[in-house]
Amino acid sequence: MAQEGLLVSAFYLLVFTAMLITYRVLRGPTLPDRVVGLNTITTKVVVIIAIVAVMRGEYYLIDLAIVLLMVNSVGGLILAKYMERAGGA
Amino acid sequence: MLEVLLLFGEAVMLFGALGILRFPDVYTRLHAASKCDTGGAMSIILYLVLTMDAPGIVKAKFLVLAFLIAMINPMVSHALARGAYRYGVKPEVVVDMYAWDNP
Repeated sequence: MAQEGLLVSAFYLLVFTAMLITYRVLRGPTLPDRVVGLNTITTKVVVIIAIVAVMRGEYYLIDLAIVLLMVNSVGGLILAKYMERAGGA
Repeated sequence: MLEVLLLFGEAVMLFGALGILRFPDVYTRLHAASKCDTGGAMSIILYLVLTMDAPGIVKAKFLVLAFLIAMINPMVSHALARGAYRYGVKPEVVVDMYAWDNP
């Protein structure tokens, strides 16, 4: 049906944008650039997991998405605290 | 008619990625990243909730995910901006109001 095609196109576009941001993670001039890119990629992966859970009808995957979002937030906060304490680029 | 939500989310995600690629320093990139993550992800998840046929508990889980994204993402962006400033990255701007209050 038409809705399935729309979801598949959204899946491929999200994967494409994640690959675009991978350039910023690899070639970022400083450490905060890489951290920003990694946070954005992880949020995109959360949305990709939600789309796959609806597309395949396997709704247990949404628990995985929630846990991944929480782990990403804790990791981002720890990296921000590390940068705040390290000082001197 | 609800497809407008999905297309809006995809467009916001795409332009956020272009902003992360093209903006000059960390703070402008953080602006683009925070906006594309929060707005685009919440729009796409709202479309999924409104169109799928699933039991109510599953829809409640999707709404919890959207609520968590709306709460957690701006907090992490704020912490990253402050951490980047303390790390020593100077913003490429004319007026630096954060330095007035925090010498």
